[in-house]
Amino acid sequence: MKVFIKQLTIFLLPILVISIPLDVYLSVQLKKSKDYAAGEYSVWNSLFDGKVNSDVVIYGSSRAWVHIDPQMIEDKLNLSAFNLGLDGHNFWLQYLRHKILIEYNPHPKTIILSVDVFSLEKRKDLFNADQFLPYMLFNNLIKHYVESYQGYSLFDSYLPIVRFHGRRDAIFQAVKNSFVSVDDQQGRKKGFKSQGEEWNDDLRKAKAKMKYYEVKLDTASISLLKQFLVECETMNINVILVYTPEYIEGQSFIKRRKEIISLYEDLAVKYSIPFLNYSNDEMCKEKAYFYNTQHLNNRGATIFTDKLIGDLAGIYAQQGAESGGFSTSSQRRR
Amino acid sequence: MLFNSIEFAIFLPIVFILYWSATNKSLKLQNTLIVAASYLFYGWWDWKFLSLILFSTIVNYFVGIGLSKQEKQTARKVLLWTSILVNLGLLGFFKYYNFFLENFITAFSLFGTKINANSLNIILPVGISFYTFQTLSYSIDIYKRELKPTKDFMAFSAFVSFFPQLVAGPIERAANLLPQFYIKRTFDYSKAVDGLRQILWGLFKKIVIADNCAEYANLIFNNSADYSGSTLVLGALLFSFQIYGDFSGYSDIAIGTSRLFGINLMRNFAFPYFSRDIAEFWRRWHISLSSWFRNYLYIPLGGSKVGTWKKVRNIFVIFIVSGFWHGPNWTFIIWGGLNAIYFIPLMLLNKNRNNLEIVAQGKCLPSIKEFVNMALTFSLVVLAWIFFRAENLGHALDYLSKIFSQSILTVPDFPGRKKALFTIFFVIIFFTIEWFGRERQYAIARFGLNWPRPLRWFFYYSLIAIIFIFGGSGQQFIYFQF
Repeated sequence: MKVFIKQLTIFLLPILVISIPLDVYLSVQLKKSKDYAAGEYSVWNSLFDGKVNSDVVIYGSSRAWVHIDPQMIEDKLNLSAFNLGLDGHNFWLQYLRHKILIEYNPHPKTIILSVDVFSLEKRKDLFNADQFLPYMLFNNLIKHYVESYQGYSLFDSYLPIVRFHGRRDAIFQAVKNSFVSVDDQQGRKKGFKSQGEEWNDDLRKAKAKMKYYEVKLDTASISLLKQFLVECETMNINVILVYTPEYIEGQSFIKRRKEIISLYEDLAVKYSIPFLNYSNDEMCKEKAYFYNTQHLNNRGATIFTDKLIGDLAGIYAQQGAESGGFSTSSQRRR
Repeated sequence: MLFNSIEFAIFLPIVFILYWSATNKSLKLQNTLIVAASYLFYGWWDWKFLSLILFSTIVNYFVGIGLSKQEKQTARKVLLWTSILVNLGLLGFFKYYNFFLENFITAFSLFGTKINANSLNIILPVGISFYTFQTLSYSIDIYKRELKPTKDFMAFSAFVSFFPQLVAGPIERAANLLPQFYIKRTFDYSKAVDGLRQILWGLFKKIVIADNCAEYANLIFNNSADYSGSTLVLGALLFSFQIYGDFSGYSDIAIGTSRLFGINLMRNFAFPYFSRDIAEFWRRWHISLSSWFRNYLYIPLGGSKVGTWKKVRNIFVIFIVSGFWHGPNWTFIIWGGLNAIYFIPLMLLNKNRNNLEIVAQGKCLPSIKEFVNMALTFSLVVLAWIFFRAENLGHALDYLSKIFSQSILTVPDFPGRKKALFTIFFVIIFFTIEWFGRERQYAIARFGLNWPRPLRWFFYYSLIAIIFIFGGSGQQFIYFQF
């Protein structure tokens, strides 16, 4: 028995010893990726490194990520901006990004929160789970917001290397990054990346599978959104709700759409925040601006951001007149 | 608690060390620890269903004692039927209630009678099909006076609930397992090392082969209408590898874990995909269930020692019941019936016991005839697995009709096709190792034993690294649902 335990310990010891440096190596290398995991690493890196530091930050899902170009906001409004749009996730994980922003970065003056029919519907699976790999060891904040999804277990947050089990694409990407220099021109720019022009047939496929899609609102996400609005008010952060355009043919496929939009209208009234609603904008009728029903292509994104900037300028002008002007990031302290 | 979980990786060493240190001095303590650990293992899934195991244990324990004391045949029969009704009653309620209800309603509606009855939202307790069959065999063996009942309740509890095989077998016979709980186990170094090797191989089968195949098999089966015939063939093949890797992997982990505790479980798989005919396949696939049905159903029905028609009937009965054992779905019944149809010609031609030894024994490669026979048998098995995997009969028939269409001549195409090449590569490596290890209890039982330790350990580290890097997404064991 003792010999068995001794031999087994000797056998397992190298595995235990190597697990920590291996974890560090994979995490460090994986963070360098520009396009892997939908390019989310560049955003997480900016957040954790305190490099967001912007007057205006944009929250939301992929519809924020591909619709609102922060560079255009910077150029036209003379305010620094960053897009924190999170592909495939609703407000629950968008809020995680907000918490990390607040913890590691100067507070923004304005948060543009892109809302849509899916913002308050929480999925069960942890979509694009690989994006959390380099940051989640011993990170209680990530653990707290990720644990309600089917993705990682408690052990993944506290045992080195365990979370990389079976994530061969991430492991290969990390190894590749240590040999191939990552091109800085790839990936997102200030969190934004415009998408191609070509229309895809996601709607046709969805319609083939179901007559309509019924959104199931998540009460916890609704409560979190309300909590977020209160917190922002306390921190003197302006929140602007934005409902970006959806292609008209897809609108009728979503059941309860009107009900959800009116929920945002009610929230805007209740918390006295602006709600820029483009859900029935003229752009919605123009297929050439979209690559699927939910997402604008790069042409559509440019036109939309321009339109948004015009409306933001109006809001800023009004708020500026009321409060005596905006401060810029260089004037603010963390 | 799953064998391929971190929880089990923590649980097992703790129980192992307690077993061989704290409780090593007495048999009672060893058995008590086994029972406590088994109840914790099972309760981790849902503690409420522990009462079912305890109930089944108590009933069968007292039925056993009652049978030994009772000489009157009528009273013995009553006791036996008590055990049968309790065990099959539990199984029938938790597993088949809704199936029978729905089918009765459908059958009556065909005759114009409308019945209003609501199906119940019943959760199937994990492992119920396994431990009820195990306890049933105990009572039947005592009734047949082939086994003496135990008076040691703790040993009997350990026999019923022994955690390595509690939830998915092998379905043990009391004659093999129970006596092992009568004797204090002593630590055997080589047995424990061999157990660890078998666990490692089982994890490779489950995590690398089964879970990776599952990813694509699920994709193809769940969207079968979108794919060509050739892709559906690939889906059926991948499911065949998945179910083998999954279940035989589970059995290897169960047997290996038992060996760590000084307990020998029966073999459950013996390289079934190298079988040359269906009869051989069924001697090599899920051996503990096949032999259970042979001993407790087929032979009591007369087995093969009856007239031709009764032989045919018995074969159908055993295969259909075996199919139904897997679950309340017509797909399993058709799967069983299809296997009976495969089997009957062999039996009628008296060729069902032609291939008793493993193929190409002592040789490197099979003969052409053996290879053709293996390929044919495997094809028949894969065809039957389509019914086993399909959601319902309509799905299975649609799947088959699409396979037998012109699109079978196209190149398989599905999302992630390139990544699937990794899986196919590992399947080829896996079956090569299985082929060269087919004369052993499990494929790597003797692999590298004569190598110098650094080389042998390098092999183990490589297997661990492959499991770590290439492991599929943690799928639940298929047989947990049965």
